[in-house]
Amino acid sequence: MTTYAGEYLDLLPEPPAGRVTAAFRADVARAVGPGGLITEPAQLRTYECDGLTGYRVTPALVVLPATTEEVAAVVRLCARDGVPFVARGAGTGLSGGALPVADGIVIGLARMRAVLSVDVDDQRAVVQPGVTNAGISAAVAPHDLYFAPDPSSQVVCTIGGNVAENSGGAHCLKYGFTTNHVLALTFVTADGDVVQLGGDAPDPVGPDLRAVVLGSEGTLGVVTEITVRLLRRPEAVRTLVADFADAEDAGNAVSDIVAAGIVPAAVEMLDELAIDACERAVQAGYTPGCPAALVVELDGVAAEVEDEFERVQEICRRNRTTHVRIAADPEERARVWKGRKAAFAAMGRISPDYFVQDGVIPRTRLGSTLTRIRQMSEQAGLRVANVFHAGDGNLHPLVLYDGAVPGEAERAEHLATAIVELCVEQGGSITGEHGVGSDKACSMPKMFGPDDLTVMARVRAAFDPQGICNPGKVLPTPRLCGERPGPHRPHPLEAAGVIERL
Amino acid sequence: MTVAGGTRTRVEQPGTVAEAADLLRGSSGPLLFRGAGTKRAWAGRPAEPALVVDTARLSGVLAYHPADMTVAVGAGMPLADLQALLAEEGQWLALDPGTEEAGATVGGLLATGDSGPRRLRYGALRDLVIGVTLVLPDGTVARGGGRVIKNVAGYDLPKLLYGSLGTLGLVAEVVLRLHPRPGASATATVRVPVDRAAELARRLRASPLEPAAVDWADLDGGLLAARFEGTAAGVEGRREAALALLADGAPAAWRTGDGEQAVWRRLAEPHRPDGEATLAAAGTRPGRTSEVARALAASGDDAGVRTGLASRPALGLHTARFTGPPAAVAAAVTAWRARVLALGGTVLLRERPPAVDAELDPLGPPPSSVGLLRALRRRLDPQARCAPGRLGSWLDPAPREDGPRS
Repeated sequence: MTTYAGEYLDLLPEPPAGRVTAAFRADVARAVGPGGLITEPAQLRTYECDGLTGYRVTPALVVLPATTEEVAAVVRLCARDGVPFVARGAGTGLSGGALPVADGIVIGLARMRAVLSVDVDDQRAVVQPGVTNAGISAAVAPHDLYFAPDPSSQVVCTIGGNVAENSGGAHCLKYGFTTNHVLALTFVTADGDVVQLGGDAPDPVGPDLRAVVLGSEGTLGVVTEITVRLLRRPEAVRTLVADFADAEDAGNAVSDIVAAGIVPAAVEMLDELAIDACERAVQAGYTPGCPAALVVELDGVAAEVEDEFERVQEICRRNRTTHVRIAADPEERARVWKGRKAAFAAMGRISPDYFVQDGVIPRTRLGSTLTRIRQMSEQAGLRVANVFHAGDGNLHPLVLYDGAVPGEAERAEHLATAIVELCVEQGGSITGEHGVGSDKACSMPKMFGPDDLTVMARVRAAFDPQGICNPGKVLPTPRLCGERPGPHRPHPLEAAGVIERL
Repeated sequence: MTVAGGTRTRVEQPGTVAEAADLLRGSSGPLLFRGAGTKRAWAGRPAEPALVVDTARLSGVLAYHPADMTVAVGAGMPLADLQALLAEEGQWLALDPGTEEAGATVGGLLATGDSGPRRLRYGALRDLVIGVTLVLPDGTVARGGGRVIKNVAGYDLPKLLYGSLGTLGLVAEVVLRLHPRPGASATATVRVPVDRAAELARRLRASPLEPAAVDWADLDGGLLAARFEGTAAGVEGRREAALALLADGAPAAWRTGDGEQAVWRRLAEPHRPDGEATLAAAGTRPGRTSEVARALAASGDDAGVRTGLASRPALGLHTARFTGPPAAVAAAVTAWRARVLALGGTVLLRERPPAVDAELDPLGPPPSSVGLLRALRRRLDPQARCAPGRLGSWLDPAPREDGPRS
């Protein structure tokens, strides 16, 4: 049993004592100008949660700045009065990262949605945080360029949110995450200074501060401009959907693809429940009743893609695929992806309520982990649908339940937590792309030891000594999680025999 | 294990992370973390350390999972040894820095942010590192990241350490993402001056040919090479289009096997120190390559210094060489740095004769984020013990009264 070290507690002050006073309101109103302030209780309530709707807190005030200078002015006022703030994009996050703090403010970045510049030759664009992920690719499509990270919510989610969460998506197996596609950030520090992190050069000189801000879930400051790297559209894209009689065959096919030295752009797996839900929602042409379907996409130079696409089909056949559907044209490919990307929302078609889980396992543990999830699902008496990025072991189990049945929501939440802890036991992670947020802060000690968390708290304190940037997210505190951070579990590297603990 | 050092410097080679932590916890005075020692002078020469922690014995494979395409190694693992091991499984760490032959270690490469030509396709070590064990000067051992390639839990300490130059703590263990070794490779070459090379690099980037590397150096009036990797069919399938794109007045050649390797050996040379020249590395937008070259020529001419340039024009990375009297070299480097900064770029001072240091500020003006850098240093290394003098004027603006430095 471990308890939080004294240093850790010192580094993470409880939410600051500052309050939104009448004077603060007046100063903020002056800082943002007309239209930049939301104070009506009914309107404030629309900001009470993000995509994780189980947690709700109404903020004292919502500010909608229009420029970097306005953001900095608001943050300076927060720093002056010790008022906590939560930066927010489209609010599509699934881990409660944009959950407001009571007595604090929300800095909504929805009004900052300009594509400031596109440099076609140097393949980069400077955008404001409120631009949608898909909006970036749309803006540069005429130049045969695109922005690679593609979270399923890409039509609505914003690049500012992607930066906060280090968003991935189906194609990050080959192309990496948001952190691999951001060259520079304009960053408002916790005391309201405006600095540049990264720049024109591929690397800054010295420690990579840009990298630690990426994925920091709004706990280090506010990003107000992003220089993104753009990629040239590949010459060829080929997509297939292969059906399998069970998940093990599908998993073996994925292993064989990897062993053949092929790096697909994406490999996704859907189980029978997920396929059923997706088909009811969007009729994407998946085979109803099929126990497991793989979506495999290859892209790159034409000669190579054709070559490898043949080999992927051969591998699927060798692993007893029952049916292979090859997308004949871009429209059919789009339909395949529409089905996959609609998966979470589609659960509404087969269940009144559901929890979306996000965990990662080493890819080779796929088969055994799915078996364990099935057993846990049966024991709990709850259905679990599985949709996941099979290429990188990022699971998205969807725990289905009926909130109208007393006790079922609690059992479902318990099962969802147990599944993510199973991922850690397998040497994986509590989150592959949805973030820690409010939802999993108390699970952090399952993955990291007290010293690991203390060093993270030191990093946080270096950026935000007052603790006013999105407090209560990412790092566990006694107030959130109880006095003890739970029984210490070995770090996954230790459990896997990779490293020794002191 | 204690190894003989200088009169004032103790050199230790801990064999485990626990030993390294004990060693640091019980130490005082300036520290230096050392891998193969191939980049000791980068970004400022550190003060003479009281303790050198050498990672030579932290060099084992901790876990290798070929099917997961991940490997965990001690930071002192030489890259060349790691590549030999991975090759047995048809894999590699997709990194080809020029210091590999000199014994550069995985931990040292992470801490210095060094990379090679194929960064164009695979990214830098920043993009390939997925986990790290860090030992702070107070002996705190922290793990960041994990063992799986997809993971967003907690702050990205592995990437924070990229380019940190040993100023925040000891990189003790590193977990890496691997790639399959490409089955085939070929390189197209053409002799062109830098302006044409920059334009051809732009066209290559705009094309769907997906070059793995594009390098240029001022060898024989200018040599541009573009490497293509993948399946045999994929490489051969690009031959005609690549040669047509590059054969721009001058004929382009298509090289494979020994001939191809010879080209890349030649192009790696100008990025390496030779014991005489002063080297500095610049990063810019790719489209600034010609301006970087002109700025270098002007800076060299003004100071009466011989200069040379090797560029990765599709990445915007450039290595400049300066040869001449120390004061003149210092003047030329300073002038070139000012011009590159004005273009929006960065300059990292690399190897140079000690005499040049007397005349040269190793860093130049600090970036706007310097306040955050200092705050981070104060939190992780409050006594400023890690390599004091490296990134010196940025990290430690004024001598500390209570500090260990004399």
